[in-house]
Amino acid sequence: MGLLRYTTYRLVQAIPVLIGVSILTFALANLTPGDPVRLMLQGQEADQETIERIEAQYGLDQPIHERYLTYMGGLVQGDMGHSFHRNASVAELITNRIGPTLLLVLSAYVFALATSIPLGIIAAKRRNDPFDHVSRIVALFGVSTPSFWIGIMLILIFAVQLGWLPSSDLVYPWWSPETYGHDGYGEHFYQVIRHLLLPMIALGTLQMATLMRVERTQMIESLQGEYVKLARAYGVPERTIMRKHAFQVAQLPIITIVGLNLSTALGGSVLIEFVFDINGLGRLFYEAIIQLDYQLIMGITMIIATMFVIGVVITDIAYAYIDPRVTYGESE
Amino acid sequence: MSSEPLLRVENLKTQFFTNAGTVRAVDGISFEVHEGEIVGLVGESGAGKSVASMSLLRLVEHPGEIVAGEITYKGETLFGLEEGPDGELREREDMLSNKAVRDRIRGNEIAVIFQDPMESLNPVFTVGGQIREFIELNRDLSGKEAKQEAIDMLREVGIPDPEERYEEYPHQFSGGMRQRVLIAMALACEPSLIIADEPTTALDVTVEGQIIDLVDDLQEKYGTSFVWVTHDMGVVAEICDRVNVMYLGEIIEQAPVDELFYDTKHPYTQALLKSMPRPDRTVEELEPIEGVMPEAISPPSGCRFHPRCPDAREVCQRVHPEPKEVDRADGYPHNAACVKHDVFDVGYDESPPLEKEPQLTASTPGGEDGE
Repeated sequence: MGLLRYTTYRLVQAIPVLIGVSILTFALANLTPGDPVRLMLQGQEADQETIERIEAQYGLDQPIHERYLTYMGGLVQGDMGHSFHRNASVAELITNRIGPTLLLVLSAYVFALATSIPLGIIAAKRRNDPFDHVSRIVALFGVSTPSFWIGIMLILIFAVQLGWLPSSDLVYPWWSPETYGHDGYGEHFYQVIRHLLLPMIALGTLQMATLMRVERTQMIESLQGEYVKLARAYGVPERTIMRKHAFQVAQLPIITIVGLNLSTALGGSVLIEFVFDINGLGRLFYEAIIQLDYQLIMGITMIIATMFVIGVVITDIAYAYIDPRVTYGESE
Repeated sequence: MSSEPLLRVENLKTQFFTNAGTVRAVDGISFEVHEGEIVGLVGESGAGKSVASMSLLRLVEHPGEIVAGEITYKGETLFGLEEGPDGELREREDMLSNKAVRDRIRGNEIAVIFQDPMESLNPVFTVGGQIREFIELNRDLSGKEAKQEAIDMLREVGIPDPEERYEEYPHQFSGGMRQRVLIAMALACEPSLIIADEPTTALDVTVEGQIIDLVDDLQEKYGTSFVWVTHDMGVVAEICDRVNVMYLGEIIEQAPVDELFYDTKHPYTQALLKSMPRPDRTVEELEPIEGVMPEAISPPSGCRFHPRCPDAREVCQRVHPEPKEVDRADGYPHNAACVKHDVFDVGYDESPPLEKEPQLTASTPGGEDGE
C-alpha cells in the first residue's frame, strides 16, 4: 500500500472516532444543568406556552437521539448551528478564531522541536557533564511549571521590566501589512515574530522539556546500538554517526510524543490566550462554557477533536515514512 | 613465517577502570596474523576475546583503555607507548593518530563482522545503502560504482535477487541473510584483515555451517586474513589455521590448529575440548570444566586456571607462567603457559598436588603463601 492510500485509509479510520466524540459531547452538553430556552430568554419572564413554542421552534421537544441526528445532518453540510448569545453562526465564529490558536500551537511546536532536539543530542553526547545536569534541571523546571505562570513571568521580565517585547495580542501574518499600518512585509513579519515570541515560549516550554528528555534518552540508547559500533568500526566520522546513524533511529519516539502532546498543547493554549490576550479558539471556548452556549461548545469540541485526530494521523504517517518497519496496515 | 606478519600484537593490555576496581580484561597478549591466514581467538565468555579484537581497531569503549603493548599492522604502529623523559608513559610518535586510524585503517584495512546480525544493521536504512555508504567511505569509487559493487557483493555472498534486495530493509532479511550482508559489507571494503567477532554464534546450526563454508570459499578467493573470535572449538577446527586460546585475559596456548587438537599442551585447552559436545559421546560422557571463570577484576594468584585445573599442584598457586615454546610444528611454535612443561623448570614434578575441594574453601596443603 502506498503512502497516499495509507493516509486515506487512516483518515477514513478516524471517522468512527469523530462520531464517538460527537455522541459524547452531545450527550454531555445535554446533561449539563441549565435550560437553553431560559438562557435564550435571558431572564425575561415567559409563560409555559411561550417556552413550549420556542422549544418546538428549535426542535428541543424532540427526543435526544433525533436532535442528535438533526445536528449531525447539519454538521456534514458544514452547518454547525447558531450561537444565540452572539447571534452568529458557529462555523463563522470558529473560522475567525481558529487562526491565532493554530499559529500559537504550531509555533510553540516549532520552538520546542528546534530547541529540544539539539539540546537533547548535546546532553546525550556529554552525558553526566555539567551541561547534562543543567539541561536536566531546565527540563525539570519546564515540566513542573505551569505554562501560564511562565507566561506571566515572561511578561513581567521582557514586557514590563525590559520593555523589549509586547505583552498582548498577536499580529496575524495572513492579514495585509496595511491593516496594521506596517511598512511593507519586512516590518510586518518582524512584528509577527515579536508578538509571537513570548506566548510561543510560554506554551512551548513544557513540550520542549519533555521532548528534550526523550531525545536525550533515545540518543543515548541509539548511540549504544550495535549499528553505531559497526559504523565506527568502518571509519564513519563521529559527526556523521551523530547526525545520521544514531539520529534517525532516535527520532521515532519523538514523533509519537509530538502527536500525543497535541492535546496538552491545545489545552494549554486556552490559558496562554488568556495571559497574552489573544483572540483565539481557546478563549472562545472558555467563554462559551461560562455562557452555556451549547452550540458553540459542541462546535469547538468537534473542531478540537478533529484537529487532534488529524495530528495523530499525521504522526502515524510520519512514523511510517521514517521507520521502514511500520507496514502500511497490510496484513503480512 | 619468515615474512613480516600482517598484524603483530605484543603484550597488549586493555583495562577497564570501573568503580569496583580495575578490570584487566586483556592482560598482556601477543599474537601474529600472517597474510591469508585465519587465526582463532578462542575462550569462554568473559575471557577478553572481544575486547582484544576491538583493541586492534582502537575501539575500546569508555571506561576501557589500552594501557600497554604494541600493535603493528603492515609496518605501521596502530598502538605503541614509550617512556617519556620523566618516566611517564606516552604515545609513541609513530603511532597513528585517531584520524588516521579512522580514515585509513577502519574499514579500508581492517573490517569487522559482529556477532549479532539482528542488531548490527541500522533498521531505518536500506541494506544496500548501508553497504554502499561503507564502500564510498573506504574505497575510491563513485556513488554509482559503489552501488554496483554492493550489488555484486550481495550476489557474491549468495543473496538471491541482489538488485531487489539492495533496496530492502534489514527487517526483511532473515538472520543468516543478514550475516551474509555483514560479510558482504566487510569484503566490499577490500580490507586485508577481517575481525569476525563470534559471527555465527547467534545463528542456527545449519545456517552456521553455510556461513562458515561461505567464509572459507571467499577467504580463499580474496586472500583476506581473518581473526576469528569464537568460543566454539568445533568452529575452530573447521575454519582456523592457527589458534590462540584465551583464559582470563591471557593467551594460554598458541598453536596451529591440528597441533592444538591432537597434541594439546595446556590443561585448559584439554578441558575445553573435552567439554565439547560430539556426536560420538553421550551427555553423560561430557566433561564440563569445573567451576566458573573468576572475575578479571581479581584474578587468582599464580596460574589463573589453577582453581579449576585437574593437574594443579602447589607450585601453580605461586608461579604465574608466561607462554613459552614447548614444541614446534609446521614452522610455527607451539606455545603454552603451563608449568607442567619442562621448559618452565619451576619444580612442578616435585610439587605436591592440590587437594581438590568443590568450593575451594578448605586450606590447601602447603599452599598458604598465595603470592
